[in-house]
Amino acid sequence: MTVFLQSVLSGVLVGGIYALIGIGLTIIFGVMRVINFAHGELLMLGMYATWIVFTAIGLDPFLSIVIVAPVLFLWGAFLQKVFINRVLNALPQNQILLTIGLGLVMSNSIMLIFTSDYRILTTSYSSSSFTIGELSVSQPLLVAFLITAAITAGLYWFLLKTDTGQAIRATAQDRDAAQLMGINVRAMSVLAFGIGAALAGTAGALISPTYYIFPQVGGTFTLKAFVIVVLGGMGSVVGATLGGVLVGLTESLAAVYVASGLKELVVFVAFLAVLLFKPAGLLGKTRA
Amino acid sequence: MDRRPLLGRGERGFGLVGILLVLAAVALLAIFPQFVRKPYVLHMGVVLFLAIIQGQAWNVIGGYAGQYSVGHAAYFGIGAYTTMMLLELYKIPPWWGIWAAIANAMILSLLIGSITFRLRGPYFVLASISVAEIIRLAALHFKGFTRGAEGFLLSEIPPLHLFGTSIEFFTKRPFYYAALGLAAITIAVNWMVQHSKLGYYFQAIREDQDAAHSLGINLAVYKNVALAISAAFTAWAGGFYAMFVKFVDPNTVFGLDISVQIVLICIIGGIGTILGPVIGAMVLVPLSEILRNPKGLVQIGILPADSAFVSFIEARFANAHLLVYGILVVVVILFAPDGVLGVIRNTIARVRRRRAGAAAGEPAAAA
Repeated sequence: MTVFLQSVLSGVLVGGIYALIGIGLTIIFGVMRVINFAHGELLMLGMYATWIVFTAIGLDPFLSIVIVAPVLFLWGAFLQKVFINRVLNALPQNQILLTIGLGLVMSNSIMLIFTSDYRILTTSYSSSSFTIGELSVSQPLLVAFLITAAITAGLYWFLLKTDTGQAIRATAQDRDAAQLMGINVRAMSVLAFGIGAALAGTAGALISPTYYIFPQVGGTFTLKAFVIVVLGGMGSVVGATLGGVLVGLTESLAAVYVASGLKELVVFVAFLAVLLFKPAGLLGKTRA
Repeated sequence: MDRRPLLGRGERGFGLVGILLVLAAVALLAIFPQFVRKPYVLHMGVVLFLAIIQGQAWNVIGGYAGQYSVGHAAYFGIGAYTTMMLLELYKIPPWWGIWAAIANAMILSLLIGSITFRLRGPYFVLASISVAEIIRLAALHFKGFTRGAEGFLLSEIPPLHLFGTSIEFFTKRPFYYAALGLAAITIAVNWMVQHSKLGYYFQAIREDQDAAHSLGINLAVYKNVALAISAAFTAWAGGFYAMFVKFVDPNTVFGLDISVQIVLICIIGGIGTILGPVIGAMVLVPLSEILRNPKGLVQIGILPADSAFVSFIEARFANAHLLVYGILVVVVILFAPDGVLGVIRNTIARVRRRRAGAAAGEPAAAA
């Protein structure tokens, strides 16, 4: 029982961070109907930005979000304005290939600058943990989870209560109608990609004390982000939040009860099953 | 969008000329090693032919039938592993093992196809990626069967006895000829497929699935046929790759990088044509090989041994040679969605139009 609870706990903690990655991808998809295959690379850039700030001025990875998130926001907005904006009406496969290409450019450029060495960001609390009853809680993961929860809450508030947030949601619901209502859909697209990139970068900063940092780290996260978003239903922010936690839980339970080397395989098998039998996502809201 | 093939249908007269040109090219490439013996050049030739096979193979499902699989590493890896394991564990030489590899890949393709072809557009792309990832993760995990991340190192390819001579696989030369032959066969088969009823079915599915279906084309059957052909040639390339590189492990042969590179060869050259993958490979392979191993330029005497360029490239690009793939695909998608071949074709058309315009325009201006 302790083993079960332990794996549920760590699954939820990791799942919170996955949710952040998924929400970014789902906002981008919702507003532009573009699947961003470079999402993991944005997360990777966030990790490197955190590492640079940490080694240069010794800023704590969790505090570095205040620098990393705005930088990634600007980078994402730039990518949207210069590249993605040109393929909004292109074939879906061309959109996918463009973002794959951008991802390759990002990861290989980072490799040019920083080589392919694995880097570790060691903080005083990187491997510290405390216990509640019989459960051990990783301190950096718990802090990361709490920050994630706060950011997600803030994002919900932004999307639901502010005018800009409503404009983003309106654009996602019906681009043409939103434009007719006087919403600047181009600006919303730039904003959405910026927010998506900032969220991916933030997730990168949050996991940097516990993960290896290397140029190809993005690939697995891109795939995980798709799984999360499809599980929750493409374009649904609530779905992505639940999907993230679900993927975290599945991984951590599969690691214990199947085999630790197969945890990602189990996630992909579940993903295929959902694609085939419930393509609109587990929440099941079909969108045109 | 006009995706007429440069060779064949629609440009009558070019068909025969085209075939003669191809035969001439193959003949030239066949006598090439008599003059150039540098291993680096032959190595690049082998990599180029391999890329052409991979591109042609993907073209059948992605280019003609319009199903963008980004999971072809599954077939490539199955081809590589089957050939390698049959040789290493059962001493079955690769020229027999490759047929088992092809059979395995085709069976796998039917399995994957029957699952993923229910999905369309981006969902199909995601499903094809995840199937390949499942296989990669399984190959890493089930060490008893695949040796996991350790992979297989080739000990020795037995000599091939053919027409009374025995061919040893110690140098690059036999690999060069084998790869050239395989590439020529792949191109020939592709050409035949494209110009058969089957090819027209594939193209009908690409242009409009629902219309093709309503005309009585069984989508599930023909998509699976296209995938099986594609998988067979991809496995062929995989098996050859394993023998040439002499090492396979799950992350290299089943990795997402392989799947992406296969697609990019076609995209950059020009999708849905015979010439496209050839041009794509000719653009991509030299660029990425030079970045991967710049010392070769010294070996063939283009650069001096102490060149700062070589040491710079070596220090920086050794692992980052995919950068050119990334930059090229971004440029192609934004500025030339029909690939390099599309650019060439448009330029030819523009020149012709200008000439025709000049011929027709002059008397009009005089009058």
